[in-house]
Amino acid sequence: MNPESLWSDVIDAPTAALMADRRMAPFSGRRLAVVAVDLYDLVYDGGPKPVPELIESCPASCGEFAWRALPPTIELFKCARDSGVPVVHVTYDTRLETDPRTFHPTNRKRRQPDLSLYTIKQELTPQPGELVIYKKRASAFFGTPLVAFLNELKIDALIMVGESTSGCVRASVVEGWSFGYPMAVVADCVFDRCDLIQKASLFDMHLKYAEVMDVAAACGHIRAGASGRH
Amino acid sequence: MRDFEDYCWRGLITPEIEHIYSPYLRDRAVGQSPALLVIHPGTPVAGDWTAAAAGLIAEARERGVPVVHSLPPGAAQDAALAPREAEPVSPRPCESAFFSSDLERVLTRLDAQSLVICGAPTSGAVRASSVEGKSFGYRVALAEETVGDTVQMLHRLALFDIAHKYADVMSAEELLQQDTFKAALVR
Repeated sequence: MNPESLWSDVIDAPTAALMADRRMAPFSGRRLAVVAVDLYDLVYDGGPKPVPELIESCPASCGEFAWRALPPTIELFKCARDSGVPVVHVTYDTRLETDPRTFHPTNRKRRQPDLSLYTIKQELTPQPGELVIYKKRASAFFGTPLVAFLNELKIDALIMVGESTSGCVRASVVEGWSFGYPMAVVADCVFDRCDLIQKASLFDMHLKYAEVMDVAAACGHIRAGASGRH
Repeated sequence: MRDFEDYCWRGLITPEIEHIYSPYLRDRAVGQSPALLVIHPGTPVAGDWTAAAAGLIAEARERGVPVVHSLPPGAAQDAALAPREAEPVSPRPCESAFFSSDLERVLTRLDAQSLVICGAPTSGAVRASSVEGKSFGYRVALAEETVGDTVQMLHRLALFDIAHKYADVMSAEELLQQDTFKAALVR
């Protein structure tokens, strides 16, 4: 897949031209992990509808974009589990006593009477033995033991999925890259609240921090790593 | 202060997207006891932002707001933004000014309680530092003229994201009118 097709309809010519100077080694790793960011019920709330229809009733929902990403994410999880590649789940730490509650991870106004909506979606639920990272901020790394666990597991490259592409996924990608990991972003398995911001985020991450690829390519990396280990 | 959406991303962002982002609308301000964080780019970024940033730095010095510089090791310095001798300079090895640097320690020792950020590039180090500044618990403010990028589209899209999610974006004039943009009363 040529990732440029993912954003070519929204990125203007002078911006697209920056890609000619992209300096990034092709994604590779011997011990991969899949990191799934914030795939909790809240972002599927209201069902697979256009986001503008959900803004009043479910302001945190990514609507149709969340639901569209669900089958490829299920496929990626299965591929990783079949290949012995760890799936690390990241969700919001809802405990009130761990937070002064003056800030949220982003400045979005919250209506959250039901903290159970931060439960990871049932189709993607962590399997016994899989790690769950509870975070308070945008990045999966900020204030969490994630990097320590990745070191313990001898992980050397990360495949990122989840939401929102422009928010917590991007913050996690920048920090993972800063920690030195080759980063892959699975285009079919990350989502946001609108097309422009989704595509612009994919472009910018591919330019600077990561390799954006489709789910077939990500599964290819996972299987190649699995066969290389045996 | 101008309407929340009436900044450089206007025209790029459709009314439908503005509606989707309406849960982010809020009052904007410079937080109490700010420091001005100057993000020096690793490679030169052309544009009017340099003069605007230099003006903001001069105003911060005038008002006694601490000025802190984040500088990539080995980067050529822009004379217009050059640190004064007493101003802390924090080397920046990665993208965020906080990552693998002494910046958080510097800010704590200055007793800075919020941040104003200027510099470049908007979609790179400025954005990453805004995200991590907020993550460290600082209210972050930016003036749109005082940050810049290699291409306008990345600048506008990055400021849109920053304004909605992480920091209070305003004009330089609006920022200078903030009565919190001054030295802390008690140190």
